[in-house]
Amino acid sequence: MPDLGRAALATALLLLVYAAVAGTFAAHRRRRRLAASAQNALLAAFGASAVAAATLLVALARHDFSFRYVADHTSRKLPLGYTLTAFWGGQEGSLLLWLVVLCGYGAAAVWTTRRVARDLLAWTVPVLGVIGTFFAFMLVFVASPFATQAAPADGAGLNPSLQNPYMAIHPPMLYLGYVGLTVPFAFAMGALLSRRTDERWIVATRRWTLAAWAFLGVGQLLGAHWAYVEIGWGGYYAWDPVENAALMPWLAATAFLHSVMIQEKRGMLKVWNMLLVILAFCLSLFGTFLTRSGIIQSIHSFTQSSIGPWFLGFICFVVCASLGLVFLRLPLLRSKTKLESLVSREATFLYNNLLLVALSLTILWGVVYPLVSELVRGETSTVSKPYYNFFLHTFGLPLLLLMGIGPLVAWRRASFRALGRTFLWPLAVAVVAGVILLAVGAGSSRVGVIAYTFSIFVLASIALEFVRGTRARKALGSESWPGAFTALVARNRRRYGGYVVHAAVVFLAIGVAGSSVYQTVREHRLHPGGAMTVAGTRLVFRGFEQHRAPNHQAIRAVVDVYRGGKRITTLLPGKNNYFAEQQVSNEVAIRHDYADASDLFLIADQVNRDGSVDLKALQKPLVNLIWFAGFVFVGGSLIALWPDAREERRLAARYAGALAEA
Amino acid sequence: MIALSVAAVLAIFLLYTSIAGGGTPSLRPSQLDGHSGKVSLAGKVVGRPSGDAHAAGLHFVLRDVKGTTAIPVMYRGTVPDLFRTGRDVVVQGQLRNGVFVAVPGTLMTKCPSKYAPAKNS
Repeated sequence: MPDLGRAALATALLLLVYAAVAGTFAAHRRRRRLAASAQNALLAAFGASAVAAATLLVALARHDFSFRYVADHTSRKLPLGYTLTAFWGGQEGSLLLWLVVLCGYGAAAVWTTRRVARDLLAWTVPVLGVIGTFFAFMLVFVASPFATQAAPADGAGLNPSLQNPYMAIHPPMLYLGYVGLTVPFAFAMGALLSRRTDERWIVATRRWTLAAWAFLGVGQLLGAHWAYVEIGWGGYYAWDPVENAALMPWLAATAFLHSVMIQEKRGMLKVWNMLLVILAFCLSLFGTFLTRSGIIQSIHSFTQSSIGPWFLGFICFVVCASLGLVFLRLPLLRSKTKLESLVSREATFLYNNLLLVALSLTILWGVVYPLVSELVRGETSTVSKPYYNFFLHTFGLPLLLLMGIGPLVAWRRASFRALGRTFLWPLAVAVVAGVILLAVGAGSSRVGVIAYTFSIFVLASIALEFVRGTRARKALGSESWPGAFTALVARNRRRYGGYVVHAAVVFLAIGVAGSSVYQTVREHRLHPGGAMTVAGTRLVFRGFEQHRAPNHQAIRAVVDVYRGGKRITTLLPGKNNYFAEQQVSNEVAIRHDYADASDLFLIADQVNRDGSVDLKALQKPLVNLIWFAGFVFVGGSLIALWPDAREERRLAARYAGALAEA
Repeated sequence: MIALSVAAVLAIFLLYTSIAGGGTPSLRPSQLDGHSGKVSLAGKVVGRPSGDAHAAGLHFVLRDVKGTTAIPVMYRGTVPDLFRTGRDVVVQGQLRNGVFVAVPGTLMTKCPSKYAPAKNS
């Protein structure tokens, strides 16, 4: 069994090296058949890595503890589902997942674009080959998931906090995102190497970028939700380096998704787009490096391991090689047009880009600050929440506002009179909302009021866009209102899908602002029969109850919840004591209130010998909008991603000329 | 050009706030001497923790992870699930009369084996 895994990985490595070397030679000498063979090697490498992954899965399912990886990450008592998801519970498995996803993405992207962008592909394949080679090399020589040992009777088990459905799908989602950014990067490098620096590399990879970005976004939300329900401190994001590691490439990719539209429409920002795609890819490598090297203190502290220096080396290589290549090709990356006015759609996209990149780089600065201060002052210093919150407010709030302004501003040059007309309604709605908010006492937090007023403004301007578009379509033909609406969205999927995603970001902002600046926290030591009050809700502690599960002992505080004198529910916050792992895990109790999207969040902070409990209660307004935003986000991304036959035909016609020349 | 100039301004702004605003120094128990301000202290828990974190305070001793210097710590607030003797922890606070008085609720465990239990070799 382990031999099969090792052989599959070695085969994948050889195939990827072949794709890199033969592909380079073929592209350089314009050998079409050799290029096709390099492409096939990439497809075959996917097969080989899939065999390796299947081997590990089978070993996990069979509790084959002679695999060191299986023994280290599972135990016999662990339920089958978590036994299988322990695949990405550790470093070697995570790396294997990287490789499989990379080969899968690469093979699929190459296959789907082989007609639209054949000339680019000649150079894209070797780039993918080089990246794949790095990961396959790591798996074969540095961190093999197929290391063996004399099988122990039972394994060490999986960390209890990872025994949660969210943790089962959060890592693969993030990986689909991280690794997915390889595709636009590889095509960008392919475009530079083949000197075809028109916007085709962007068009060819548009959906891949969007999909990767959507996965990364969903992955982070799942992680946030996991932290919220499982880790149990009442929050969902702590600005921890490992969390930031996923946020940074997402922000860079968001900037990229916006700025490529300007290159497609107006032929501008070519160098900028190259830099953004390099930034996004390097940040995703950096994210993997950060989580695995242990170089920066994090509450996540994964195993410190030997792969850190390898990753750092590879990141340096990627940065130097890609920037060098951009520099060499600068003459080919001149803009066709210039920015005509600072008040135009292009300009708002540019501002959005600057803010996103600024936010991303400030976070990066915060993450590496301990290393920088160590180098400069000889003393490690860390920045924490106030630093990040400051920059989130300075860059995030203007970003929020821009989402409302951008879509209403005309391309090229907007007149102030036209702007006044289009902004009238959204502005009026926002002002009214602001006044109402102040009247109901939201003024206790200035940031909160600003965020909410901006949010209303954005929602109003998005609604206005839908209304105007539908009305215009209705005027054009004899369609019904719903018909005109669906036709509008179906014919402009990217644009209206984008608006839906904007709405999701607004919901997210409302949820984050509501649950952070307007939350109420109360802590009390309660003896059986004792009571406390949080934001008008009365909590009565009845005593403890205990029960035994196959792999843990559970203790729960029984808390009755009263609102307006009426008992509305009983919550059971407590702790689980896991036997095999010898760990205690906090189990919070949450009551969702779907009417106002708030949560009552209970933590049994400390269970005392005398039968009392230290209960921590949080009332978190609007927090459920964050998870709702996730669904809207997925919906909007799907609208934008959905294949559009009309668009395909248009693109095929447009690039027929470019391909004929090749 | 616009992009570059704005980016440059942002970069300067960033450097300014980070260096002037400063961060919290992260220290080991052996480096505490001479620091009277708020610091983040990292070390290994030695001996038996005593007291009640939700009443008079939890008392424990932190030692350099690779060293012998140790310092008593007084802490109030939430105690992480993974806190126990032998674990590496980080806590914020300041030194007062030889005792490191922690900021409530800042205790965090650094479990070196969070995602991969210790190799049973």
